[in-house]
Amino acid sequence: MSKLGAVVEAVEKHGRFVLEQVKRARSDEKFAQAVTDRWNKVKAEIPISKAPTGLPLPRLALPEIDEPGEIARYLFGDGLPGEFPYLNGAYREMYLEPLREIESFEKNGEAVAAGVSRARKTKERPARPPLQEEPTRLFSGLMLAEDTNKRFHFLSAHQRSKRLSTAFDGPTLYGIDSDADGVFGKIGEGGVAVDTVEDMVRLYDGFELGAPNFSASMTISGPAPIIMAMYIAAAKRRFGAKVVPNLRGTIQADIFKEVQAQNETIFPTEASLRFLCDMIDWTTANMPRWYPVSISGYHIGEAGSTPVQQAAYTLSNGFAYAEMLSARGVPVDQFASRLSFFLDCGLDVEYIALARVSRKIWAIGMRDVFGANARGQMFKLHTQTSGRSLIAAEFKNNLTRTAAELMLAYMNGTNSCHSNSADEPFTTPSEEWIRLAAHGQAILLEESGIFKHTMNMLSGSPGMKAVERAVEKAILDEFREIESLGGVLAAVENRYQRSQIQNAAHRYEQQIYDGTRPIVGLNRYRNGADEMPEVELVRTPRAKQKLQVERLKKFKKKNAEKSNRALHKLGAVVERGENSFPALLEAVEVCSLGQITGRLQEIVGRFRPMV
Amino acid sequence: MALPIRILTAVPICDGHDSAINTINLEFIRHGIEVVYLGFHRYVGDIVRAAIQEDVAAIGISSYNGGHIDFFADVVSQLKKNGANDIAVFGGGGGTITHDDARQMKRKGVDEIFFAGTSLTEMADYVKKHYGKKKKRRLKSKADLALARKLTELEEAASRRGKHQPLNDASPARTKDRTSKVIGFTGPGGAGKTTLIDELVLRFLQRDSKTRIAILSHDPSVIGEGALLGDRATMINSQDDRVFMRSMATRGQAGGLSPATESCLALLARSRFDYVIIETVGTGQEALPFRNKLVDQTILVMNPDYGARLQLQKIVMLDVADVVVVNKTDLERAKAALAEIEYRLTQNKRKQEIVATVAKRHRDPGVDELFELITKETVAAVYDRRKPKGRHS
Repeated sequence: MSKLGAVVEAVEKHGRFVLEQVKRARSDEKFAQAVTDRWNKVKAEIPISKAPTGLPLPRLALPEIDEPGEIARYLFGDGLPGEFPYLNGAYREMYLEPLREIESFEKNGEAVAAGVSRARKTKERPARPPLQEEPTRLFSGLMLAEDTNKRFHFLSAHQRSKRLSTAFDGPTLYGIDSDADGVFGKIGEGGVAVDTVEDMVRLYDGFELGAPNFSASMTISGPAPIIMAMYIAAAKRRFGAKVVPNLRGTIQADIFKEVQAQNETIFPTEASLRFLCDMIDWTTANMPRWYPVSISGYHIGEAGSTPVQQAAYTLSNGFAYAEMLSARGVPVDQFASRLSFFLDCGLDVEYIALARVSRKIWAIGMRDVFGANARGQMFKLHTQTSGRSLIAAEFKNNLTRTAAELMLAYMNGTNSCHSNSADEPFTTPSEEWIRLAAHGQAILLEESGIFKHTMNMLSGSPGMKAVERAVEKAILDEFREIESLGGVLAAVENRYQRSQIQNAAHRYEQQIYDGTRPIVGLNRYRNGADEMPEVELVRTPRAKQKLQVERLKKFKKKNAEKSNRALHKLGAVVERGENSFPALLEAVEVCSLGQITGRLQEIVGRFRPMV
Repeated sequence: MALPIRILTAVPICDGHDSAINTINLEFIRHGIEVVYLGFHRYVGDIVRAAIQEDVAAIGISSYNGGHIDFFADVVSQLKKNGANDIAVFGGGGGTITHDDARQMKRKGVDEIFFAGTSLTEMADYVKKHYGKKKKRRLKSKADLALARKLTELEEAASRRGKHQPLNDASPARTKDRTSKVIGFTGPGGAGKTTLIDELVLRFLQRDSKTRIAILSHDPSVIGEGALLGDRATMINSQDDRVFMRSMATRGQAGGLSPATESCLALLARSRFDYVIIETVGTGQEALPFRNKLVDQTILVMNPDYGARLQLQKIVMLDVADVVVVNKTDLERAKAALAEIEYRLTQNKRKQEIVATVAKRHRDPGVDELFELITKETVAAVYDRRKPKGRHS
């Protein structure tokens, strides 16, 4: 049995445990008293905030229950926000307006820089986000590094925290150099072109990479360890080696979902997983604030899965990574709190509770199967609204779609969120629409009072509970199916998840065409005029593409000799089966992305696509 | 009945968006079209080479990652350069291809661009309407193209003739002027035949700079519908100028091959290739696909999950295969399976080899061993061995 089977058992056991607590609270007077006392104490301690109208409101809303059994069901089954099993939220206050100014960023940063050991810090502190910062995190990447850099400065100009999220172009995602045959038109399309550490320096120019209010997110998986090494090398070039432990951010690096859905992987699965574990092993030991893998359901959802499949595959992939790292001997408390998640949020009803249930299953699995501490049990989530739900026809409707999805995402207590631009069906978002997308979040979180005064404002409705139960059951059924195939890796190699996703995608398309899935402007309320909107298209000019190629050629020429030596050394390390990451850190100083990919593929082979 | 339309579909380089094309492929097949699917993240050169070798009527490209104007234009111009400008190009990319882009692309020779909201049926109807009629085609002098078109003629002739009238003189073993060793791969679906062949191709290509390989790959036709010919999508090493690959649908013939297999194989066997590899569809226990000395060496590929030991007695190919490959020997059951199969082979009392492989692993020693078994006898020696015994003809 893989650990996934054990997770199913643990979740079921937890369900029985909750029922026992309910019964006990109804039959054991002492226990009933203890439960009621805790409840009353929690309620009494809830601070009051005032809405702008003067209306006083509790900062945490709790159900109106006073019967000990029901209180036990709530406390053990759902948990208060920030408490196991985290159904209502990973943290206590989330999006609430701060009551008083939180301690300064600097102070918080120093604690980490001073090398306070993670083990000691994990001692049950009250759960709260490490920094008060905006959950808005907008994904961008276009043309060359300096163009994306400019966009980053534009986007973060008015934010207290600089949270950049980087999209890479096709060649970079596939580990190919910009000067490779046949990729010319793809340079800088759909994301930024990065070939060398010099591009990486340009990309984040002007940002304090080691500052506590800065974090970078990089959406790349196939060549993730190489790109991660480039980021570290770029940071060292600008700020010296001392910056490394302070680097904060996320790299996607999710190999399983690439093989299952997104197809951006370059080495055979087992080899990719090895390079990934090498990287996680190194970063969790040396960069305590970095998230080296973002376990992603987003692309599974975008490839056409149902919401339940999305959550089930994402969670099971996460448990598989945890199992691999444990098997490798990495201590669970070193890596568990560094795993983060990324889900899609569309308009299907499951999204009312998908992230809530995911948080609960993850917490139970990590606590009861992997023995993780409280920080390692938390399902830290980034959400993106659904790109697939946006369509070209009457594209301004996409604003409404995204707004509804944002609402669902925040109802689920996501820790950060990206809202899509309405023009995304045609182009890399233009500044006009990206601004509207960002403002959508600000309107919801800052302008409206829905989320800023009271935690649990919309949690726990009877409908939400009904969805939770149905979704949880369906996810566990999927786990059982995967387990029966021999676990996640075996199921992946039998292309189980892939074919399930493809079937779901096909059904979805059919439903659109036969009208059982209404899409406004497409199969309903069509205005007839099939016009394409006038949007400003972001395309990389040829001159820029040429410039990228020239820069790369110069870099290669300059480092010709050194790069040969570095590649040779890297190859030897990989052949010997040692951790490849330190050798990658050296190699990126003098080698391009494509050179490193090529060398590694000579040794481990190329990814063989699945149909 | 009209002959099936053959088209090729693919997703461009640095693009992994295959959700749309997967759905569209299924729709095409439902409409009786045979789709050679090349997969995602494909170079222009690979697409054009495949289209020529497969001799398709058109190429459908699904592009979502930008750069489509250059990419489509490049496909058109390389087709032209290779003398195959009668192969049409169409495609789509949801909302990423604007009307303005589409106009530019059409000016550069693209037939049609489908926009978001086009129904699946509409696309299938377009293909049937525009690529269904046989175009008048000039004979081609370029080698791959000429060979490809000859194969099409043979395939169409066989389809017209029907499956019960095999050509009398077609068996490759009886072909004069033969220059190739013909190796037949068969075995149940999911055993890893395609991956194994692709790994062997890599070894052929790396061994020297001259060896040329032909691959004749079979996939089943769906009853009353077209076929998805998807082997190319996973064969990353076989997309090479020294490899000529042709995908064939079984078009209603049982037994793992197509009505045209024999004649096509005969042609390939005298067409300057060193090795001709033929892969059957996934076969059942009773299958004996290579009759009439169709091939020089028979390789049965199995995976360790064949069920109970008794099942082995029913697999007739185990009696006649020259080499039995047990693939996926990283699976738990592998050790037992190898022992059981080895025992089963001793009953045959003839020289048969057994090889354990993990084809998905790069540089797998088992695949090296199989490569040795295939190449240790030179092609000339194989031919000589056959010639004196050239009985019944």
